[in-house]
Amino acid sequence: MSFGDTGERRRASDGPLLISGLIDEETVRSIAQEAWSALVGECEFLVPQPGELPADPVSAWVEVVGPWTGAVVLTCGRSTAEQLSRELLKEHAPSVLDDEDIEDGLGELANVVGGNVKAVLPGPSVLGLPEVGTAPQARADTVRADLLWRGQSLTISVQGSAGALTDPHENHENEVPL
Amino acid sequence: MIDDSKVMRRIVAGILEDLGYEVQQAGHGREGLDVLDGGWVPELVCVDWNMPVMDGLQFVSAVRSNPAWRQVTIMMITSESEHCQIVRALAAGAHEYVIKPFTADAIRDKLALLGLLPQGVVL
Repeated sequence: MSFGDTGERRRASDGPLLISGLIDEETVRSIAQEAWSALVGECEFLVPQPGELPADPVSAWVEVVGPWTGAVVLTCGRSTAEQLSRELLKEHAPSVLDDEDIEDGLGELANVVGGNVKAVLPGPSVLGLPEVGTAPQARADTVRADLLWRGQSLTISVQGSAGALTDPHENHENEVPL
Repeated sequence: MIDDSKVMRRIVAGILEDLGYEVQQAGHGREGLDVLDGGWVPELVCVDWNMPVMDGLQFVSAVRSNPAWRQVTIMMITSESEHCQIVRALAAGAHEYVIKPFTADAIRDKLALLGLLPQGVVL
């Protein structure tokens, strides 16, 4: 990845950073595509096209805490998450993937995309551990990429925490120190 | 191979096993140290950065503080991609740094740089 900290420093009087001013949908898609090509498969493409998520969506996300604070959220249907986890493991996949495997695979994809999104945002920032479950509620300060993978919908949202997703000081004992 | 993601452990362990390595896995740095404390000292440790209990940087520092483990080569495999993080890991004693996402070829290239590619393996 060739992205990097802009090096710009902020004053306390500056207003909150809005994600729409820091990253665009194309950059999010590009980061995700690089993750897909490397981890899911060389010929696996993410098509920028909105689609309808199935009724059983599952989300994985990582929080970023720094000059900009929020979360990078990957959401798709349960069966899409299962296929993604199977492709990540390739020939090492067990014949039956359990819930832990599926959530772990989706979480790792969110972690990789989130880590590289963090790299283009102003730093220093810390990256939380992946979480999986019901997506944090999207807020107005969101950049969202609607994508299709093998014809199945998935979304990647970079969403600010104005109003806080969770307490940023909670459960970060293992994060990278600033 | 130390990573809190079981999927990521299986991916990297698979790459290494395909090259002929015997691989043990641990879910965080403390578990990794327990393996070393148990007497199994590998040629190479691949370690993630962000993990519960003990992160990768703490693990690297702990390994480097023990002379008995001086010969262990450490490669960080992480989504932490900022330059300053890479510098910190190398300064702490990691030998190489692989940024996620990576391909199997990228791992093999790094092993070749480290002189750890088993004989007979062609890039």
